Amino acid sequence: MWGGGSKKPQSGPAQEMVQVGTNPIANPKTTTLDKDTNTDRSESSFWRSRSPQSNVSTPHRDGAYRPPADSQTKVVGASYSYTDMLNFENTPSRPRTPTHSKHKSTPSGGSHSPTTAAASYNAFMSQTDDDWGLDLNDTSIPKETTVTGGLGSIASMAGVTSIEGRPLGAKGSKGAGGGYEYPLAKKRTKGLKAQFEGLVRDPGNSLHMIYHPPINTDVHSSAEIEAMNARISRINRFKTVLQSSTVDLTKLRSLAWGGIPDELRPMAWQLLLGYLPANSDRRVTTLERKRKEYLDSAKQAFSRGEAGMDQTIWHQISIDIPRTNPHIPLYGHKTTQRCLEKILYVWAIRHPASGYVQGINDLVTPFWQVFLSAYIEGDVETFDPGSLPPEVLDVVSADCFWCLTKLLDGIQDNYIHSQPGIQRQVSQLRDLVRRIDSGLAKHLNDVQVQFIQFSFRWMNCMLMREFSVKNVIRMWDTYMSEGNSGFSEFHLYVCAAFLVKWSAELKKMDFQEVMMFLQSLPTKEWGEKDIGLLLSEAFMWQSLYRNSSAHLRDDGTTVHNEELNL
Amino acid sequence: MAEGGPKPSSSVKLVLLGEAAVGKSSLVLRFVNDDFQENREPTIGAAFLTQKCNLPSRTIKFEIWDTAGQERFASLAPMYYRNAQSALVVYDLTKASSLAKAKHWVAELQRQASPGIVIALVGNKLDLTNQSTGLESSMGGLSLSAAASDGDEEEEEEGDARQITTAEAKSYADEEGLLFFETSAKTGHNVQEVFTAIANAIPESTLKTRGGPGSGRTGGGAAGDTFGGSGGVNLSAVGETNKDGCAC
Repeated sequence: MWGGGSKKPQSGPAQEMVQVGTNPIANPKTTTLDKDTNTDRSESSFWRSRSPQSNVSTPHRDGAYRPPADSQTKVVGASYSYTDMLNFENTPSRPRTPTHSKHKSTPSGGSHSPTTAAASYNAFMSQTDDDWGLDLNDTSIPKETTVTGGLGSIASMAGVTSIEGRPLGAKGSKGAGGGYEYPLAKKRTKGLKAQFEGLVRDPGNSLHMIYHPPINTDVHSSAEIEAMNARISRINRFKTVLQSSTVDLTKLRSLAWGGIPDELRPMAWQLLLGYLPANSDRRVTTLERKRKEYLDSAKQAFSRGEAGMDQTIWHQISIDIPRTNPHIPLYGHKTTQRCLEKILYVWAIRHPASGYVQGINDLVTPFWQVFLSAYIEGDVETFDPGSLPPEVLDVVSADCFWCLTKLLDGIQDNYIHSQPGIQRQVSQLRDLVRRIDSGLAKHLNDVQVQFIQFSFRWMNCMLMREFSVKNVIRMWDTYMSEGNSGFSEFHLYVCAAFLVKWSAELKKMDFQEVMMFLQSLPTKEWGEKDIGLLLSEAFMWQSLYRNSSAHLRDDGTTVHNEELNL
Repeated sequence: MAEGGPKPSSSVKLVLLGEAAVGKSSLVLRFVNDDFQENREPTIGAAFLTQKCNLPSRTIKFEIWDTAGQERFASLAPMYYRNAQSALVVYDLTKASSLAKAKHWVAELQRQASPGIVIALVGNKLDLTNQSTGLESSMGGLSLSAAASDGDEEEEEEGDARQITTAEAKSYADEEGLLFFETSAKTGHNVQEVFTAIANAIPESTLKTRGGPGSGRTGGGAAGDTFGGSGGVNLSAVGETNKDGCAC
């Protein structure tokens, strides 16, 4: 009855489609350009000027965005302006995240120091206005295409994104494959999506990169076709909201509560967390600024080598990173480890009250996985990001950093001294379970199991040790849709729903059995449906008890009396 | 409750303490499951495990609380050591600072834990030192891949990563009256011996026959029965008692 997607009212998508058409997403000045000329223009525009370098046969594309000094303003501005700050990083062959030593040795590094960055940024922005116009025009066209395509035609067209995606391919005619399977992709960096440059600049471009497998009545059963159509219409509902020039966050939350399609999750999460501006006009510049800020911070933090770093924090991070999600190949790759180390360290030194606390290393991984997945094809959990261009790694790292920061802002007191947030949540959980399932609460009390003995970890790691990362990612769709309190308050109800789910089993167990069981709960086989159900149950408990939270603060023994008094 | 045989059976609560990533969980995993995993996820809060140890005269069932090593979680530790009858304080013998942290824990235990608590000081990661060779472990058939990586940063140079000499740690243990072992959770070297020695060192008088499960509950209040007779660590018979293996 609490089926995920239908929980909250959703407005019909059809009207919004129309609305989108009148609100071009990109810079307004680009909307006057005639889309018919787009194809030709893209051939002769900056895309083309870049193509020899970005071409295909170069397996490692670092340097592709670092044009020669004489043409710097034009091409850099055209590709994406925050490249300006990426110049410090001249990795010769292997794409890697920037390191301090490189900054110093790069000749152009001086001109991009923090003090001059703003000035030079404005300078080249003004110089490259025209290129920006072309650039944005390229991306604005497909959005309109989508609009005119409308729901019906999308649903009936197989591989519709091959049309939408073309201009974003950014490689002239070679990008024409579009969609998910680009012939081009095989020749470039393995696994990297052809249109990654557009994505780097504006996550909104992900809207045009969704692959719908062709529906074939000979191959697919009617149930499969139904599922595929359901997926398409769900994606289109999201697109309608996300394409709007100012995203209606209320609508997005109500949609996202029931789960976000994989392809749209990176953008949706960034919007829900308030990292990506709802107003599409501000996105490109905001992202540039935030990413630059992160990269500058990282550069500074690592500029003096390990000697200049906080040894305690750095040591802890560097011993934890190799043991973060050790069972997922993605996290065994050096590139992942270096990027995550940097994100965690920069966050820690910017938040001295808490610093780095074990568990935060878990919390960064859903972001890493989700944001990385936007740029690659195939399963991100087995992907080696070492082959990605450093630009992509920097952007993913910066986005992870800021989204992790947003998340942690809401649960800061979980990680400061003595972890009062966790203590409070554990105690609230105990009291909540007393009310939801007094039999279970009594049994746990009888066998002398304390809530803190098993639920400390649930709070400290957001249940990430209890579920697969994929399931956690699905849970976070809902947490983020719950607004600021998702990771603090709603999580509590999820924990309660999770615990009482095992009530029958637990009531038959003694202390030792309870502890062993709760430490390795049988969730390996859990899938999206189980998570959806859990979240719905949590929602139900929240609806029932949220406004009586006064009880939760009191000692459990008095709860029932107070209840009666109220 | 039911004793599993002719011998009396008693539960002993044991707590593991020590700096992060010294191998606390790995020692327990070796003891309980005779297994080893590189790069285990850091313990958060504490983990609970049990394992029996068969002595000639009795069976000891260890109820083990394996605590998290990071400093931020240290405030949880009293909850776990408060009623413990034994403690395993672990350091990484390839990391000098970890012995200092171990000493800190020993001092805290002597000050705040039950007066009769049996404490073993354990230097782990012996496989990263030269001494790792030539061990005739009581665990059958465990070949050691010498100086293999342990996910830590120390093993740059193959060979001896030892930073804490046996003599140094041993003399400290003697001073404080602690059991002392150097172990490798990776190869299994000396791991059973640690637990057997602890089991033997638990004074008969403190053993209750299967006391309540999870005998260490606390209600999270302030450390109650503390500051008692400190330093009363009982460990007389160490050397000669560890011939009996723990049951696996």
